Amino acid sequence: MSAPTVFVVDDDAAVRDALSLLISLKGLRVSTFSCGEDFLAVYEHRWRGCLLTDLQMPGMSGLELQHQLTERGIALPVIVLTAHGDVATARTALKSGALDFLEKPVDDDVLVDVLENAIRVDEERHRAQAIELHVTQRLERLTSRERDVLLLLSEGLQHREIAARLAISPRTVEVYKARMMEKLQCRTLAEVLRVGAEARLRPSQ
Amino acid sequence: MTQFTSAAVPAPLLGRWNYRSWAGAAAYIALYVLCDWLSYVQPVLKLGITPWNPQTGLTLIFLLTFGPQWLGCTAIASFLAELLVRNASPTSPLVLAASVWIALGFGGLAALLRHWHLDLPIRTPVAAAKLAGACVGATIVIAAGYVVLFVAAGVLPPENALRALPKLLIGDLTGVLTLTPLLVSTRPWGAALRILREHRWQLLGQLAVLVLSVWLIFGLPVTVQLRFFYLAFVPVIWISLRWGLPGGLLATLIIQVGLIIAVQDETPSPLIDLQFLMLTLSLTALLLGAAVTERADVLQRVAMREAEQRALLTMSPDGVLAIDASGMVRMANPAALELFGASNGLPTATSLHEWLPDLTLREPAGRATLHGRRVDGRNFTADIAWARLDPPANAGFMVTVRDATERLRLQEEARERDAGVARAMRFAVAGELASALAHELNQPITALVSYLRASDILAAPFGRENERLKTTLGKAAHEAMRASEVLRRLRDFYRSGTLKREPVHLPTLCGSVVVAFQDRLRRANTSLVTHMGGPLPMPHADAMQLEIVLHNLLANALDAVCHSTKPRRRIELHVGGNSEEVFLRIEDCGPGVTPELAAKLFEPFVTNKPDGMGLGLAISRSFVRAAGGELTFEPSERLGGACFRVRIPTRQPAELS
Repeated sequence: MSAPTVFVVDDDAAVRDALSLLISLKGLRVSTFSCGEDFLAVYEHRWRGCLLTDLQMPGMSGLELQHQLTERGIALPVIVLTAHGDVATARTALKSGALDFLEKPVDDDVLVDVLENAIRVDEERHRAQAIELHVTQRLERLTSRERDVLLLLSEGLQHREIAARLAISPRTVEVYKARMMEKLQCRTLAEVLRVGAEARLRPSQ
Repeated sequence: MTQFTSAAVPAPLLGRWNYRSWAGAAAYIALYVLCDWLSYVQPVLKLGITPWNPQTGLTLIFLLTFGPQWLGCTAIASFLAELLVRNASPTSPLVLAASVWIALGFGGLAALLRHWHLDLPIRTPVAAAKLAGACVGATIVIAAGYVVLFVAAGVLPPENALRALPKLLIGDLTGVLTLTPLLVSTRPWGAALRILREHRWQLLGQLAVLVLSVWLIFGLPVTVQLRFFYLAFVPVIWISLRWGLPGGLLATLIIQVGLIIAVQDETPSPLIDLQFLMLTLSLTALLLGAAVTERADVLQRVAMREAEQRALLTMSPDGVLAIDASGMVRMANPAALELFGASNGLPTATSLHEWLPDLTLREPAGRATLHGRRVDGRNFTADIAWARLDPPANAGFMVTVRDATERLRLQEEARERDAGVARAMRFAVAGELASALAHELNQPITALVSYLRASDILAAPFGRENERLKTTLGKAAHEAMRASEVLRRLRDFYRSGTLKREPVHLPTLCGSVVVAFQDRLRRANTSLVTHMGGPLPMPHADAMQLEIVLHNLLANALDAVCHSTKPRRRIELHVGGNSEEVFLRIEDCGPGVTPELAAKLFEPFVTNKPDGMGLGLAISRSFVRAAGGELTFEPSERLGGACFRVRIPTRQPAELS
């Protein structure tokens, strides 16, 4: 996993240079591209941070770049920066999934706020993804009996009721529960219930 | 006449021969012999001289209609006549030579008349005189040759040759001059029968007078017959005056036939006097008849022209006035009377000054727009054109008058609209300029502001001076932001308040733009084909903006075709639509757009015209987009030049939030 970076896409060399200087002085990592095509060509999945793109560029426009990102499943937050700010383009950009919309020339404090917010959004998204991945991995370790017990527990059933439903003895339910808690690395029933809620949202394997 | 005597026989001797031609030729030969037999009275000096020779007229008609190349038939006819009528020996080389000579002579005459393109039937005295002149010359030559042949053969004593010559030629001449023009000027049977029916009493009277005069002349003793021959002129002149050439010649023919009947027993002498009288009669009928026929033709033409003019004047949507030399209105057509409110016809003694007080007719021709005054005193604006009637000199003027009120109103409307479009276009250009300027300048300003903020951060470590440096950089950044703000306000000013949305009726809009282009299209020799098809719903847009778009696209197309080397310069405008959108397509046959230019065609300041700003297409695209539509370019496959498409949805785009 790489450090969060602001990826600047702008066709104007001076704007690119000035923005990257300013952003780096504000303590953020910056990488610049002169067009959307270049960015897409070298993009790697492990990149973190956000994309700051100009709207009007020869070749691929900012909106088209946004569209390409969606197409390729790249979830990098996008901030659109335009010298031609009008309501209609702003609306279109935001509708296509831009996180924010800034007008040139932009106030540096506003810019940094927006960028940091975008990076935070990106990080949170990754953290959520990581947790989800973790839960999935743990759920995969359960046997089908242990999984049944987990699902019924999270539905709020007592041990006796679970035993009746699964046609086993309450004692065996206890065993399954203990084994399941160990595999899920849960110490309290509350934790079990939370994982169970997650599990209910996924198709059983 | 040298041309005539040396005239070679036109080859081939027997031209187009078919069944009908041969039948005609046979009929001609039979008629020839018959005529000769009928008109032959007595041999004079052993030359077969008759008072008149109708067969010569027959021969000329035959050769004129069949062609001179048929002169072989004439030779045969003449030879047969000599054998049958005058019992000549079939082996006589003299008779044979004489027949060939006659045939050659008439063949030459027919060739000459054809060469002159003498119009038949004869309808003018000039043509009649030409015919008479040619016939006189030809018959002299024929008769002279004939006499020479007879003298050479020893049949005719040389001392008698000069006496025989005039008798021979006058008989031929009379026959030719009477029969030829008569037979070629016969009217179609239907018309002749109609005249016969309608004027039968008059014709009967004329015939009676004719017969009476012949009977009178030849009822007299032979010795005084010639003295009273002049009586025959009275009915011939009368009939010529009444019926023109055909009538006069027919009368002459009747007299001559009567004469042949009358003189069978006893010929008045001297014969040459009778012949001369006959010739004079024929010539009189020919020339007088031709003059009368020509006059009738002229009168008919004049009547036709007058009828045409009357119809034109009645139909004319423009008022037409005829002004005499003293400035009075001599004639006014119905449109003029209506224009000036004179519903009861032209008031007597109307001076042009009363109707058009400002018009002074000094130039021979001219045009003007000035006030017309109606009979009821009201004024109107009139477009006037006038021309002097030249022959006869100073006869007056013709003046046309057209009510200019509607024209001026349309002109004024067009001017106002043009001014409106021009104003909107200027505003659009300024807006586009502001927008483009804002965009272009915003880039360096963005860089500038960012550099200044960066400098601010970079300056942080420097001690005491830091505060002033920080303030200065802050001020600089503030000023840069202010510049950007000015640009934004400028751009917003042009963007706001210009957009109207109303249902636009495309056919009307296209029609008015196309009309505005007519003059330029004509000057550029370019045809603009407009095609409207399918349902045309009304899109909601700013009509003025769409008009500017169409105007720009047509102007571009016209500029493009002016650079075309194609012989037929052509622009096509297609307008169509369906329930969801309307579209316009403008195609031209110009040189098209290079791919490099096409890639940035709609960007501001992009142009291939030396004096162009490069804003037309940029503005057009913003206007079309403002209506929720799109303007695109592609090469025209059909015409080879550029093709621009405008699509505008008919659904009103959702209101902008």
